[in-house]
Amino acid sequence: MTKTSVCRGTLTVQLKSRRRSFRALGGDQGRGFRILGGDQGRGFRILGGDQGRGFRIWVEIRGGPSWFRVEFDCGVSGQDAEILVDYRPLEDSVDPSNMLCAGKDSSSVVQWSQCPPAGGSRNCRDGPEPEPQSSETEWDLVNAATYRRRGGSAMSRSQDRSRWAFSAAVGDLRSVTVKDEGWTFLILQLKEPSTSCSTSCSTSSTLPPLHFHQGGSREFLDSLRRFALLSESAEDEACLLVSTPNRALSQSFENLLDDNNYSLVHKFRRDPYVTTLGSFSKVTNYILEALRGAEEAQQRPPEEVADLLGDIIPGLEINQQEEPGFEVITRVDLGVRPPVSRAAPLSPEDWRRHRDAEGSMVDTQRLRHAVFKGGLCHAVRKEAWKFLLGFYPWSSTLEERKSLHRAKTDEYFRMKLQWKSVSEEQERRNSRLRDYRSLIEKDVNRTDRTNRFYEGLDNPGLVLLHDVLMTYCMYDFDLGYVQGMSDLLSPILYVMESEVDAFWCFVSFMDQMHQNFEEQMQGMKTQLIQLSTLLRLLDLSFWNYLEAQDSGYLYFCFRWLLIRFKRELSFQDVLRLWEVLWTGLPCQNFHLLVCCSILDSEKQKIMEEKYGFNEILKHINELSMKLDIEEILQKAEGIYEQIRSCKVLGLLRSRNGAASTRPAQAERPPPPARPRRSGRLHPPGPGGAAASTRPAQAERPPPP
Amino acid sequence: MTTKTSLLKVILLGDGGVGKSSIMNRYVTNKFDAHLFHTIGVEFLNKDLEVDGHQVTLQIWDTAGQERFRSLRTPFYRGSDCCLLTFSVDDNQSFLNLGNWKKEFIYYADVKEPEKFPFVVLGNKLDVTERQVSSEEAQQWCQENGDYPYYETSAKDATNVAVAFEEAVRRVLAMDERTDHLIPTDTVKLHRKPRSATTCCS
Repeated sequence: MTKTSVCRGTLTVQLKSRRRSFRALGGDQGRGFRILGGDQGRGFRILGGDQGRGFRIWVEIRGGPSWFRVEFDCGVSGQDAEILVDYRPLEDSVDPSNMLCAGKDSSSVVQWSQCPPAGGSRNCRDGPEPEPQSSETEWDLVNAATYRRRGGSAMSRSQDRSRWAFSAAVGDLRSVTVKDEGWTFLILQLKEPSTSCSTSCSTSSTLPPLHFHQGGSREFLDSLRRFALLSESAEDEACLLVSTPNRALSQSFENLLDDNNYSLVHKFRRDPYVTTLGSFSKVTNYILEALRGAEEAQQRPPEEVADLLGDIIPGLEINQQEEPGFEVITRVDLGVRPPVSRAAPLSPEDWRRHRDAEGSMVDTQRLRHAVFKGGLCHAVRKEAWKFLLGFYPWSSTLEERKSLHRAKTDEYFRMKLQWKSVSEEQERRNSRLRDYRSLIEKDVNRTDRTNRFYEGLDNPGLVLLHDVLMTYCMYDFDLGYVQGMSDLLSPILYVMESEVDAFWCFVSFMDQMHQNFEEQMQGMKTQLIQLSTLLRLLDLSFWNYLEAQDSGYLYFCFRWLLIRFKRELSFQDVLRLWEVLWTGLPCQNFHLLVCCSILDSEKQKIMEEKYGFNEILKHINELSMKLDIEEILQKAEGIYEQIRSCKVLGLLRSRNGAASTRPAQAERPPPPARPRRSGRLHPPGPGGAAASTRPAQAERPPPP
Repeated sequence: MTTKTSLLKVILLGDGGVGKSSIMNRYVTNKFDAHLFHTIGVEFLNKDLEVDGHQVTLQIWDTAGQERFRSLRTPFYRGSDCCLLTFSVDDNQSFLNLGNWKKEFIYYADVKEPEKFPFVVLGNKLDVTERQVSSEEAQQWCQENGDYPYYETSAKDATNVAVAFEEAVRRVLAMDERTDHLIPTDTVKLHRKPRSATTCCS
């Protein structure tokens, strides 16, 4: 039976700040303690307590849009009755640009004082009382899920958390298995199915894995070694068997002071920061909350992974061949990224070669492929873009196009006349039109003004930009004008040099981009979710890092996606990228792979510099105009090839139960998230039921 | 406090095109570009300054002003120390919308005591000759809404920009003084049954 060795008395956490005071979110810390008083506001929350030695609490503090983890250890000073504890946050766990409260504030104190024996009647916990004197080791590890649903009550959050919380006596541990997946994670196995597993880990004797994304597993094991012997298993050197001599179990706090922990506490008094930094492991279980229970995550057949990818990138063909006798489980194992070469832009001669006597375009598959590989020479763009965007059908003859053009010209001017003929008086009574017009006028004035087509005061390009946007409002009055649309039109108008052609090409482009600009911005939400899912499949460790920085939603990609990299690249590079994307090759949503390509290039910097939420946003924003389009496209195509040729195999398990060298299911790390959609992929079942009670990811609130 | 650098988050809000980005850029880089792109998404810049002996790092957040992007910008309101409500003196509508911006901010920033929150109002584009909003009107609005400081600025010729930010900092610092003296720190009590042992928190 687990013995608790918890603080008794009153723990008062006072976070004083010069500029704000904090209130607790509330929440049950698994086994550590829970908050009784305090307003249930937002501001800070206590995540968990470590009852190893002394105790440690994690507090997450709202700073701007992000949460910052502050870990502090409570050391001891003074006598029994009243213990004052100083804390400082771990610097590297706090975003320095946002240390609104913690790091720079010397007035913050954590106060721990013991209640008089009779005064503790407000026991907050049900269940058996801890035995007096029990101060045995107990690990109390609380998984912190970093996704937070807005609108969820404090209580539901804490329940989410405690769902993952567990505690187990060291004496009940059978083994610790050390695994590595780019980060280290530990799997604790209990001696037998045990009731001491305090929460939702069902009847399994394996506790949820502990993930040390930022290191610290060694320290964890070292700490464990103080209380138990760890010896390598004969069969598996990654598996450490735990044995617990009585001596270790009987260590009390006083004993702890005698050995190296004494110096720890001692040092802590003098220099809490350094000691804290150096002495404790960091458990970062970024359980992909809201995703699934362990049971759901066990298996994923290859067709599901393929399906998931195919859903994000329609047109992507994934090799779904299975190795006989095995079934695919959780991950996409990408092979080496194949080298990709780009080609020269398509010349006017090349273009003409694809035109037959009637003027129809022939062998368009190869033509589009050539555009995908190299883009177009500028001279070809004016004509080719009309086909790529779908204004002209590829199969149309020259005559057909002429008559189409005539009809579309009429239609355009009819719509243009509509807004042109609105009198001032009418407009006074039409606030929507007035708003559209005012916004368009403002934005035309600040769109690509350094481009020769739009520079200067009386440039006709400005009038065209304005008129086409106004006419588009008449074409789609419900949508009207939304900021970002001028960015999408500008390159098209620049290439077309014709109001009518630009308008209809813009209409085609907007057909693709429409959802981005709608009231609910559904297109943006969908793309961000797709991109996040994709990144998680392609690069789990990076995704995990972003997730830990509250950036898993990829908020910082907003501008990329809203206007297809228009602000990130030089004008000429935008033209190149867009024509490549318009080929629809090699798959739909190739622009998401373009995102992955850029992120792949920035990942090292972001992770090495340990950028937090704000720095990531700033870094990505500042990439603008520093990107090389050919390099990006090359890498994006490479990633595509990687996905295409990967055998979605990952970890294998023998289907007929034969011995396998692969890790057993229980030892697997949390897999990439479930697809962010519900329904057909997860038929109701043992796992499906659990899945259905969780909100679909698509319902995740806007970030952060 | 005097020896430390505080990080203050200020956020610029106001209709599209009133000059939020220009004000920020003027203040941080001392440059003005009449043809600066309109902001897509959210951006921020940092600026160090000293106000009345206090070292301060201002983190200035700039957002897209169009209504449609509300869900994008509002998550960034939280944690703001000060809000600069911005309109353009040549655009009456942007002035009329100040109240909406204030409301939106208070709601999403989850301001505990809205009546005490330091807002500063900026009437930008002072350099433009055709005004639609008079100083008196603007001042009256500020007075009626909470006695906010009002500055008429020009990002173009740098008029009053630095002054306005410094005032914002002063307001925040003044708030802190008051908070520290008057409001007891919020407390979270974590009750445990008492125990007789001398061990603690192990």
